Amino acid sequence: MTPQNDLAQRLIRRAARNVPPALAERLDEEWSADLAARSGTFSRLRLAIGCWWATGVITRDVAVPQVATSGAGGSVRTPLGGLHYDLPLLSRRTVTFLAIAGVHVLLIYGFTSGIAQHVVQSLPPLTHAVVLDETRPQRPALPAPTLDVKPLTGRIDPRILLPPPSFEFPAAGTSGPEIKAGPEVIDTLPQPPPVLHRLAGGPGRGFPNTDDFYPAASRRLAETGAATVQVCIDTQGRLAGDPVITQSSGIVRLDEGALKLAKAGSGHYRPTTENGQPVSSCYPYRIRFRLDD
Amino acid sequence: MGRQIRDVRMSLQTLRVLETFLENPMTELAGADVHKRGELASGTLYPILLRLETAGWFVSRWEAVNPAHVGRPRRRLYRLTPSGLARASEVFASFGRGVPA
Repeated sequence: MTPQNDLAQRLIRRAARNVPPALAERLDEEWSADLAARSGTFSRLRLAIGCWWATGVITRDVAVPQVATSGAGGSVRTPLGGLHYDLPLLSRRTVTFLAIAGVHVLLIYGFTSGIAQHVVQSLPPLTHAVVLDETRPQRPALPAPTLDVKPLTGRIDPRILLPPPSFEFPAAGTSGPEIKAGPEVIDTLPQPPPVLHRLAGGPGRGFPNTDDFYPAASRRLAETGAATVQVCIDTQGRLAGDPVITQSSGIVRLDEGALKLAKAGSGHYRPTTENGQPVSSCYPYRIRFRLDD
Repeated sequence: MGRQIRDVRMSLQTLRVLETFLENPMTELAGADVHKRGELASGTLYPILLRLETAGWFVSRWEAVNPAHVGRPRRRLYRLTPSGLARASEVFASFGRGVPA
């Protein structure tokens, strides 16, 4: 006899002790005999648990006073006449309810005891967050706008109104009134600034072809885009410093190709001119990589 | 007789027990037999057997074997009484099912 089977036997004996004494010995032997007829461990344990359940029902049955018991053909009055349904111990509804309750108990226990935390820690992370250093793009120095301002040709004469000169009337016999002259008109208008004609520079004659710097990998992958490059050019059209990307094309390869092109074009830039004179300046321009069909 | 039938609580499980016995009314069955044939849980079966016996529908006796010889306890055997048979037949007739052959 396995320990489980022995457990079933002990459960039945204990259950039989809980019924009224008049029935205890009978039910003990009856249930033990039925237990012997069962072979499976689970079946035997189920019978034992059922006997426990039956014990409570039988005890309640006996506790209700019986008005009369039956004889053969006599009137019958059952002690449980008020009840109308027998609930099986492990009906489908009961099993479902117990299963749901068990799941809830396990979940609550897992959350409160921290078991779930170990489970979560053992799981691989679902997402990988890569924090990139945000570098604020340097705002390019925009070329000075060329104002279409015509030089002033006239002159505004804001005259100051002065009180009229005072006249003194001489006495009779004099030659006439002597008129005092007022102050002279004061010119308060500043001289206008000199007109500046500024023409922004850019790629000039002999500048390398963009297609020559189209990255081969980007060409194979049909990557297209445009990058904005900031260059500082001296008066000879040469680079005064390393060009920088101020607006990426979104593809690293294309950005690198744009920088190579900007460097290769040193000496072929058209410098910015102010009033026709070349000056050193920094300005951005866009380099577009596109595939012709 | 109708009053006697009304006095006995009729549940689905009780009807299944009666139906098991009505398959062969003269046969004595132990609780284990009714469990197998009626597919009833033991927690429901034994109270029903006791109630029906108390109500006079069943009579029971111990199996006439020597436990020492057979190596197990004696079984309690139940059988329908004549009045129990009549009542059970009446119950099933009232449900329109008739008595099982």
